[in-house]
Amino acid sequence: MSDLETYRAKAAAWLASMAPTYGREARKGLAEADDLALGRRYQKAKFDAGFAGINWPTEYGGQGLGHLEKVTFDAEEMKHGFPNFYFGISLGMPVPVLMQFGSDRDFVKERVLKALQGEEIWCQLFSEPSGGSDLAGLRTKAEPDGNGWKINGQKVWTSWAHYSDYGVIVVRTDPTVPKHKGLTYFWVDMKAPGVTVRPIKLAGGDSHVNEVFFDDVKISDDHRMSPVGGGFAVAITTLMIERYVATDSAGFGPHLDLFVDLAKDTLLNGKPAIEDGRIRHQIARNHAMRSGLDSINVRARLMMQAGMIPGAEGSLNKLVAVRSRQKLSELAIDLQGSDGFAFDEHASQKEDWASSWINAPTGRIAGGSDETLLNTIAEKVLGLPQDHRPDKGIPFNQIPA
Amino acid sequence: MTILYDEGQQAIATESRRVLEARISKDALLPLLESVGEYHRPFWDTAKEQGWTALALPEAHDGLGLGLIELGLIAHQAGRSLSGAPFLTSGFGTAKAIELYGSDAQKARWLPKLASGESIGAIAFAAGPDTLPAQPDVTLTDDRLSGIARGVSGGLAANVAIVLANGPGMPVLALVDLTGVERTAVPSFDNSRCVANLGFAGVRAETLAVGTAARDAALHILALQAVVTAHEQTGGAEVLMEIARDYALTRRAFGQPIGAFQSVKHRIAELYGLVELARANCIHAASREGAADFITAAAAARLSATEAYDTAARDCVQIHGGIGVTWDLGLHLHMRRARSLAIEQGSSLFWEDVLVDRLAGEAA
Repeated sequence: MSDLETYRAKAAAWLASMAPTYGREARKGLAEADDLALGRRYQKAKFDAGFAGINWPTEYGGQGLGHLEKVTFDAEEMKHGFPNFYFGISLGMPVPVLMQFGSDRDFVKERVLKALQGEEIWCQLFSEPSGGSDLAGLRTKAEPDGNGWKINGQKVWTSWAHYSDYGVIVVRTDPTVPKHKGLTYFWVDMKAPGVTVRPIKLAGGDSHVNEVFFDDVKISDDHRMSPVGGGFAVAITTLMIERYVATDSAGFGPHLDLFVDLAKDTLLNGKPAIEDGRIRHQIARNHAMRSGLDSINVRARLMMQAGMIPGAEGSLNKLVAVRSRQKLSELAIDLQGSDGFAFDEHASQKEDWASSWINAPTGRIAGGSDETLLNTIAEKVLGLPQDHRPDKGIPFNQIPA
Repeated sequence: MTILYDEGQQAIATESRRVLEARISKDALLPLLESVGEYHRPFWDTAKEQGWTALALPEAHDGLGLGLIELGLIAHQAGRSLSGAPFLTSGFGTAKAIELYGSDAQKARWLPKLASGESIGAIAFAAGPDTLPAQPDVTLTDDRLSGIARGVSGGLAANVAIVLANGPGMPVLALVDLTGVERTAVPSFDNSRCVANLGFAGVRAETLAVGTAARDAALHILALQAVVTAHEQTGGAEVLMEIARDYALTRRAFGQPIGAFQSVKHRIAELYGLVELARANCIHAASREGAADFITAAAAARLSATEAYDTAARDCVQIHGGIGVTWDLGLHLHMRRARSLAIEQGSSLFWEDVLVDRLAGEAA
């Protein structure tokens, strides 16, 4: 057995032993506050067992291992439905960026250790009402205020801001230069005066994202994590940090086996739906797509193991898998006919077709919309030209609204 | 088996690409479309000279003892350059059938000739829309074949064929020397495939397998060929994606390269996705030869490669606009090839059924 397979076996055994206490079954029917509390205990258990911060430096409480061990653990962890999503953003992007760019090292270390143990949660304050894909078009501003700064404006789609203790934020510090050049990166205390968090109820009924308002929020200059005007580069670092994350060819929806089972158990025109050509076509196409993604991901892992950099085809995962999941979920509801109305807003997106369907649009928009991903492939992989950008090179305050 | 190509495999890809790009041009391929029964001889001579015909055959019979992965790499390059004949795949399928199901005498007689390319093989399983018919049109009685096998790729030039025949009460997989067998050319939209109807009038044939074993054997041979063809389709799709990209970078309209319009650039980015999914499925399938899930992997490769090549042919022409439909530009060579490869070794309809039967646990 390779070292990595040994590691996988060790992780799988530990995760299986945790499943009765923290897994899918243990969470059924819990109110969100109780689920979060369970999640904090699970995160602490991970820390104590040496599975938190797997690829982080040991001086910050991590395990000092590589991306591969991290991805391996995540893939195994995904199987049990643990309450870990409260910490996904926090430990995925803001905290690693804090480790890299935070100036007060004692403060950084204390925060990282608390975040790793589930005691504190960080959010990422990037998107705004005026722009999501166009990150550099953001309008929230920070103005000099004594020795520090004063922040005014609004962020939106901020995951878990309502549970967050801290956040990282990109703001405009100079509106007189082109948009990418006038941004600066800070961290903020989410409990500071002037910060207001308002949850947004999403189409599927849950409220994990928020609007966050900043009214004269004062911070000292040691909150700054980039040079003044150098915030865009740090923001891009944040977004690139978890480039090789665990993926799921089911698009984080139900496994294809569940659809096959549904088709076998459903009578259509008096015959099992699995015998219906339309259903068979979709099963075959979905399988071919998923097996292609699986092969891409196995190859990426083998390349990383061999010390090579995986190809750009890994960028297809989210684009291809999530939109397919959306259509397959629609078809699963079609298959059930008048039995398909049933809806439980707390059902798992990985097990329930209606839940998978109604939450699928979020997957196609968050973290890079389909359109943005296609642009990235076209421009960065294939070398096609950028779109026409009328705001290019123009000072931010002179861009026509 | 790993799915990372080793140095030897990468060299096969590089060298075959170099040779084919130097020796095949659309100017040589276009006239073949207008003559029935001609194939591109320099392509076939190259395949023999480079040892591609011997590549995946056993060393004991003058083969090189490599496998599906290496042959797939050659097929990918042949797809990029548009192969000038179907014999590499049909000869491989024929040889595999003899290697796996034939006697020592049959192997000794045919495998060295197939390895050298002196003999050309063909596969005659289908009866029109039936890829693996329960009641084939060709019958085998007292070791003699009669009836017509329709639409056999390479059939016009082949010396030996593997035929799925209707034996007394059960299917039979038979080996037949085509000397003296009547061949009627089928004028086609892709004439260099040398498609023929083979008319058997009591010709002697040798039985390789009977009953369920015959069907299983035929499906296995078809799957082996399907993986080779899937590589060829992926190569064709890949080169079309590149042609579309290059054209979108140079052709200008409304004051900018057309590749700056999202309707065009997204279309090409979608092709990239189809090509990479097909490639990934091909690499996976080639590595699964001999494994329990080989048929499933072959079906997935075949489905995604057919979709990639057809879509790339459609979209590449569309992105070119008017010039794309001209005879001289030759994109129609790929349009034609995409369709002929789509129906050789069973269409998507067949492979969807094969795949779903397995996923639903209805097939052994």
